[in-house]
Amino acid sequence: MKHYECRNYLSLDCEKGMCAIDKAIVPIDGEGSDACPRFTDGFLCKFCKNFANADEHGIGTCSGFEQKDWAYADCGSFTCEKFNRQ
Amino acid sequence: MDKQEKINEILENRNKFRSLDVAVLEDYTEEPIPDPSPRFTKLMDIYYVMKNTIDMEYPYWYNRYWWQNEGDLPEIRRAKAEAAALSHMTPTIWPNELIVMNKTKNWRGAFCFPWVDASFFNAQAEALLAEADAPALAEADRMSVVGEGGGNVTKSYGNIVSIAQKFGLRKEEIPVLVKVARFWNTCSVEVKTQEYSELIPEYYKYKAYRDSVLVMFDSWAIPQGREVMNYYLPLEYGFDGLIELCDEKVGEGIGVVEHNDGLLGMSRGYYYVAMKEIIKGLSQWAEGYAKKATFLASLESDPQQKKDYEGISVVMHNIAHKQPQSFREALQLTLLLHLATVNEDPQSGQSIGRLGQILQPFYAKDLREGKITEEEAIELLELYRVKITSIECFASSGVTGGVLSGNTFNNLGIGGLNHDGMTAVTPLEYLIVEAATRAKTTQPTLSVLYDEKIPEDFLLKSARCTKLGFGFPAYMNNQTGMNFMMRHYGEEGMNIDDARAWMLGGCLESAPCCFQPLHYDGKTTWIPGGAGPTSGTGVHFTGLPKVLELVLTNGVDRRTGIKVFEPHGHKLDTFEDLWDVWNMYLRECIEVSLRVNNIQMDIWGKINPPVVTSLLKPDCFTKGQLETSMGARYMGVHNFESCGTVTFVNAMTSIRKNVYDDKKYTLNEMTDAMLNNFGFKTAFETGVFSPDHREATEAAPKYEKIFYDCVNAPKYGNADKYADQQMVDYEDFMTPWIYGLQNCYGKNYYMCQISVSTHGPQGAITLADAGGRLAGTTYADGSVSAAAATDKNGIYAVFESATCYDHSRNQNAQMNVKIHPSAVKGANGTRKLLDVIRAYMRKGGFHVQFNITSSKTLRAAQDKPEDYRDLMVRVAGFTQYWCEIGKPIQDEVIYRTEYDQ
Repeated sequence: MKHYECRNYLSLDCEKGMCAIDKAIVPIDGEGSDACPRFTDGFLCKFCKNFANADEHGIGTCSGFEQKDWAYADCGSFTCEKFNRQ
Repeated sequence: MDKQEKINEILENRNKFRSLDVAVLEDYTEEPIPDPSPRFTKLMDIYYVMKNTIDMEYPYWYNRYWWQNEGDLPEIRRAKAEAAALSHMTPTIWPNELIVMNKTKNWRGAFCFPWVDASFFNAQAEALLAEADAPALAEADRMSVVGEGGGNVTKSYGNIVSIAQKFGLRKEEIPVLVKVARFWNTCSVEVKTQEYSELIPEYYKYKAYRDSVLVMFDSWAIPQGREVMNYYLPLEYGFDGLIELCDEKVGEGIGVVEHNDGLLGMSRGYYYVAMKEIIKGLSQWAEGYAKKATFLASLESDPQQKKDYEGISVVMHNIAHKQPQSFREALQLTLLLHLATVNEDPQSGQSIGRLGQILQPFYAKDLREGKITEEEAIELLELYRVKITSIECFASSGVTGGVLSGNTFNNLGIGGLNHDGMTAVTPLEYLIVEAATRAKTTQPTLSVLYDEKIPEDFLLKSARCTKLGFGFPAYMNNQTGMNFMMRHYGEEGMNIDDARAWMLGGCLESAPCCFQPLHYDGKTTWIPGGAGPTSGTGVHFTGLPKVLELVLTNGVDRRTGIKVFEPHGHKLDTFEDLWDVWNMYLRECIEVSLRVNNIQMDIWGKINPPVVTSLLKPDCFTKGQLETSMGARYMGVHNFESCGTVTFVNAMTSIRKNVYDDKKYTLNEMTDAMLNNFGFKTAFETGVFSPDHREATEAAPKYEKIFYDCVNAPKYGNADKYADQQMVDYEDFMTPWIYGLQNCYGKNYYMCQISVSTHGPQGAITLADAGGRLAGTTYADGSVSAAAATDKNGIYAVFESATCYDHSRNQNAQMNVKIHPSAVKGANGTRKLLDVIRAYMRKGGFHVQFNITSSKTLRAAQDKPEDYRDLMVRVAGFTQYWCEIGKPIQDEVIYRTEYDQ
C-alpha cells in the first residue's frame, strides 16, 4: 500500500502529501511512497463496500446512493454519507 | 509620571507598533518590521514547494448530481450539483493552520469545468489517453508564455501531466477527466454559445479577430470574477437562519404572481428552492472541515496542535449553522464564501472587498472583551493571506498565463468613505496593513481608496508597506471612483450612499457596491459589499496598435495571413483619413465582438446560472431573482477592454508628425519600415521581449533614419501636448460611443483601460509600429503609463500627461511607476512616496501602483530564479511571484523607466 491510501495522509499536490502523524512530506509514487507500519485504510472509494467492478483505470460502480452511478477508486470519501468501510 | 507623560508614552508605543517612531526626530528612522508569526513562516515554507494541481473530485460530484437531476430547473439542478461537489470534496487541514479551507483537497488546487468548456479537455485528454502528442492550443494560448518557476507545472513529468502550462494532473485521473468531459461534449457553455454565435452573419469576422489574437479571449472562459464579494446575508443571519428564510419565502411565494410580473414572479419560488439547496451545501462543506479537524485532533500527540485542531472544529461547526460570534469565526466565514464563489465558475478577480470595515464590529467586540489581542488578530490575518495566496484559477493557458500571469486578483480594499461620508478607515485596517507588511505573500493585494479624509498616519503606514517592494498597496482615487459610479450607474438608481461603498473588482475594475446594515454586538454597522455581477466582461482585450497595423496592411494580418478586415481601399492621404479608417475597423471589431459576447454571457446565465453569487449579491435574495435574471442591484457592468493605449497613441503621434505634418516620409515608406521591423530582429528571434532590446540585421542601415525619427517623435508621458492630444482625441471619441452600446441586460457599456498581462501576448502578435516599438515586444503596460524609457521629463510630467482627460468618465486608468529603493529610503522616503501619490491623486489621476525595486535585482533574478523564489513584483494591477511570470512580462517590467533620487 501507498502513503496516499492511508487515513493519516493529507494531500498537498499532484506529487506529494503529508503524514498527519509525523508531519513528514511523502511522495505519492516512486521512491519513498510505500506506506509505513502505521498504515490504516484511508477514506477512498476503493475501500468502500458500495464500490465495485473497477476497470483497469479504477473506474467502477457506486451503489451506495439511491441511484447507482459510476465512481473512481481513488476518489476521496471522507465526507461521503454513504461510505461503508470494507 | 504625570498624566501628560503617561499620554506621551502611550502614543509613542502606539506609533512604534505602527512602525512609525516619531520620537526619534533628528534621524527620523523607521522602526524595524517585526517578523511574521511562526505559524505563517512554517506554512509558507511548504507553500514555496507546492505545485499547482488539478484533481477530479469536484468535477466528478458536480457531474454526478447534475445528470441525476436531469429534467429539473437549471437553477435547482445547478445548486444541487454545486452543493454536492463542495460537500463531498476531501477536506484537508494542515498543521499550523488556524484559518482553514481550500478550493480543493490540495494546497494550490483547482479543477476544470467541463460544463463550461469541454473541448479543451477532450482534445488534450483524448490525445494523452492515446499516448499521442497533445494537439495545438488556441492561438492566444500559443502566444502566452507562462513562467516556468515556482508552482507552475509547465511540462509533464513522471506520472504528472501538464495542463494549460500551469497545472499538474495525475495520469491516473485522466480517464476520469475524459469520462466527465464526454458528458458535456455537446452541451457545454462553450459549445452552446458557439452554436448560437454562428447564427450571427458576421461571426466569421469574430473568428478572425480571435485567431489573429486581435481580441484576446471569450467571455465564457471566465464568466465571473472582476467583481466584489458580498458576505452580508451569512454574516447577518447564519446559514440556518437563511434556510429558514428560504422556507418562509417558498411558502409565501411559490406559484404567486404579483404586480403583473408573471415570468419573474413564477421564478421566485424556484429561486428560493435553489438557494436552500446551495446553503445546505455550504453548511455541509463547513461541517466536513469540522469533522476532519476532530479526526486530526484524535490522531495528534502534540498538545498545542491538538488544541488547534479542536479549536478549528468548534469554529467550523459554529459557522456551519449560526451567525459568527467572534472575529475568527467571521473571518473564516468570509473565506468559506469566497472559496465557494471562486469554485462556482472559472474566474479570477473575485475581490475580497473592504474586509477591515466589514469585520470591524467582530474584531472590536472581541478586543473589548479581552478575547483577542492585536497580535493574535495580526496572526490570523497573516494566515488568511496564506489562504488567499493559495487560490488558483483554472482556465486555458491563454487566459491564466497570457492574461492573468497566473494571478487571481483577490483585492482587499482599505480606506475610502463610510456610509456617513466620513473616513472608513478602521483599527482593523491598520492591522491588515501590518499583516501585509510582515507576511510576504502576493495575495490579497491591497488597494487604498485614497481620499483626503483618510488619516495621515494610515497613509504613511500604507506607503511604508508599498516601499517594501511587494507592489501593494496600490492607490485609487476615491472621489474619481465615486464620480464614475454616479455617472454610469445613475440610471439604475446609484446614489451618493451606494457610490461611497464602491470597490475594485479584480485588479482595477471599479465595481458597484452598496452598504447593508449588520446587526451585531447590539449595534447596527453599515458594511460595504458588492452589488453587481462581473465588471470585467464584455468585449475582451483588443489590441489598439494591432488595429492600426491592420489599417496599414489593408485588413490583412501579415503575421498569420488571416484577412481580419475587408480591405478599406482608402488612400490615407490625410491624418484624418487614417484616424477615420482606424475608427471604422475598431468599431466593426467591437460591434461584432459585442454580439458574440452578449450571446456568451446570456447562454452562460441560462444554462449555467450562478447560484452562490445569486445568493450573496443584493438584491437577488430580496427580489427572489437570480443574478443573471437581473436580480443584482446594478447590471450595467459590461465593458470594452482596450490594450496598448499608449503604444497606439505614440504610433499615431509619430505618423502624424513624420508623415503628415513634417512630410519626411510617405505612409508607404513608414509601412515598409514597420513591416521590415526597421531592419532589426524580432523579439521571437532574439528571445528578449523588452522594447529596448535591438539586434540589427543587414537591412538596418536602410531604415536607420526613419527609425531614429520614429523613436524621437513626440511621446506621450512628457507633458507634451502634441502627443497628449492624441490621448485626448482617443478618449473623447471612445467614451461616448462605447456608452451607446448595450450589454445583454440592456444596460450601457463603459471603457475599461487596464492591461493585466495582455500587453505581453498582444505585443507578441503585433508588428513594429511607428512609435519605434519593434515586432513582438510588449506594448506599454497599463493605460496611462508611459512606454518604457520614453518618459524623459520625470514622473510629474507623466502625471501631467496622464491627467489630460477626466478619469472619472471611465471605469479605470492604469498607471504603473517603478522607483529605485534608494529614492524612498527611510521615513523621509515614505513621506516622499506619499507626496508622489498625493500629487497624482490631486490632479485627478485614478490609479497608481509602484514597483520599488531595481532593474539590477530583477536581471539577477531572471538569471537565477531559484535564488529569488520569494521575489514579488507588481505587473499591472497585481503582484506576482517573479519566477511564475512569463519572460515577456519579466522583460517589460525590467525595462520600465526607473525613477531614482
